[in-house]
Amino acid sequence: MGSEMTFYENLSQRGVSRRDFLKFCGSTAAVLGLSSTFVPTLASKIAGAAESGLTPAIWLSGGKCTGCLESTLQATYPNVADIVLDLLTLKYSAASMATGKYALDAKKKVYQGNKPFIMIYEGAIMEGENGSGYTMINADGTNSLDDLEAAASSDQCAAIIAMGQCAVDGGWVRAFPNPSGATGMSEYLSRRGIDVPVVNLAGCPASPEELTAVVVQALLLGSDGTLESGIAAVAADLDRLGRPKYLYNATIHDSCPRRGHFENGEFVYRYGSEEEAKNFCVYPMGCKGPQTYRRCPMIRWNDSQSWCVESGGVCIGCATWNWVDNNAPFAGRHRRVGAASSGPLAGWPLHGGGLHPIGTGAALTGVVAAALVAHGLGMKAAKRIGKNATLKTEEMKEYDAKRLKKQGGAN
Amino acid sequence: MPGKMVKESTHPLFVFTHWTNALAMLFLTISGLYIAFPIVGGLMGIARGTHFFWMFVLLINIIIRIIGMFTIKTCCEQGTREKDWDYKNWLPQKTNRHQMWPMVKYYLFFKKDYPITAKYAGLQKLAYWLSIVLTFAVAYTGFAIWGPTQDWWIFRIGNEIVGSLFGFGGGDGLMPMRLIHHWIMWFILIFTCIHGYLSLIYGTKACKMIFLYKED
Repeated sequence: MGSEMTFYENLSQRGVSRRDFLKFCGSTAAVLGLSSTFVPTLASKIAGAAESGLTPAIWLSGGKCTGCLESTLQATYPNVADIVLDLLTLKYSAASMATGKYALDAKKKVYQGNKPFIMIYEGAIMEGENGSGYTMINADGTNSLDDLEAAASSDQCAAIIAMGQCAVDGGWVRAFPNPSGATGMSEYLSRRGIDVPVVNLAGCPASPEELTAVVVQALLLGSDGTLESGIAAVAADLDRLGRPKYLYNATIHDSCPRRGHFENGEFVYRYGSEEEAKNFCVYPMGCKGPQTYRRCPMIRWNDSQSWCVESGGVCIGCATWNWVDNNAPFAGRHRRVGAASSGPLAGWPLHGGGLHPIGTGAALTGVVAAALVAHGLGMKAAKRIGKNATLKTEEMKEYDAKRLKKQGGAN
Repeated sequence: MPGKMVKESTHPLFVFTHWTNALAMLFLTISGLYIAFPIVGGLMGIARGTHFFWMFVLLINIIIRIIGMFTIKTCCEQGTREKDWDYKNWLPQKTNRHQMWPMVKYYLFFKKDYPITAKYAGLQKLAYWLSIVLTFAVAYTGFAIWGPTQDWWIFRIGNEIVGSLFGFGGGDGLMPMRLIHHWIMWFILIFTCIHGYLSLIYGTKACKMIFLYKED
């Protein structure tokens, strides 16, 4: 009881009431797909973990805009999710700490120590110029690739949380023409032969609620109540794209508050219009919600205040692979006739050209139709068709005629 | 240059499947274009309903047509009423063996006389096979982007391949798959233009037969 008081005192000090905490547990249970009967279990697991010692974590950064870190840290006020995330003691954060000797030692202590840790990796892994060309160089001359290699190769690394789409597949950093040689975490580790469980949190940026959900799920699944044992269990039950199933099992479109307008054919065609004021569906404005698996309509952003489509924008499909190349222009229904930024179709035939698929297809069909008309006129001119047609069928196949000729017969 | 069109060159079931194909293509194209970009409001429910209904009709229809190949007899040569299994029309025949290239030359005006051919010319056979492949491809890509079926293993494989081609060697392929579905529609439309042109260029007798089952 005494230890629980300490935890709730901690909450109270941050202005979070027990009621708030239980509400948070309820909403997290909903995100995890659990019934409300799990709320007390969740609450006791979180409280227990907070009292039984913190799990070391390091937050490494590759090529990124720091949006995922901002998204996680920029709470308008201390909220419950912050407290859950405090279960991870962040020993090192590449983006928010100076890279002096103290920071480097703190980082090394984690992955050279004897306690399992969790690595949160934000940003793409930029292999261009051996990792030195585009990333932060530490005071000792090492770079972010060296950091990643050392941490991921450590026996104590329990799992890697690939935070945000850049860490998942290279994200926007990897978009055509990918000058920095960016890549995603799973791909990089597999190429380097490093075997560490990776949990992908897709999206640009990843949201704190998604990270919180993974931490809470790990607490629930951990065999000994520790995060490090639980995170391995989380990593063992991911979808085929390495994401927690419950966070990416429905499209934006499935639970969009504007979905009814889509079905009714009530659309916004122009910003500033009456239709926009009525919150009609933004599908014609380029919304990629039907192709994007993420739970933004349920979780929402900025302490669950709103999210892209609710605030009037379109879903730009930021949780899909190669999302910039595949989904741009974001304000258009379709990607222009363009190219992939890597793989066998790289750079073919045009990158991000101005050709709209509907217009291009119609133009191509029109060209064929015009060619057929011209061909028809040619057929007529050659007297193959029409009243004065003189067309006749050949008397012998060309092939047979040639063979006959070879054999010395008549032509 | 088709000879006289005799009733034995086709079968009432094929007239029916041809009509169904034509209507399905028409409704699927119009509703699909609307779904791709709903140029006016109010019709999305109707467009999607139409698209899903005719998608199943088209698929069942093409399967019926393929079964018909093996169970129905039609004449396989020009200028005869003698019938044989319809599938033979779809395979290389003695009459038009080695005639593909002469036919290409003929239509490009490099050859004066019309090449000897069976009921279907070599190019025609190829185009008809292509139409079956395109129909299955458009159905496949359609199911691969349709919510209820996109996670079936058979469609997931396609999504993964497309995801690999367009998504850094992995990931989901829903957006590129949508575009591939769209492009196949244009190829089918281009095929239909050429098909319509070649069936009408020598007169209306082929059309009368396949649409009305009437000898000229």
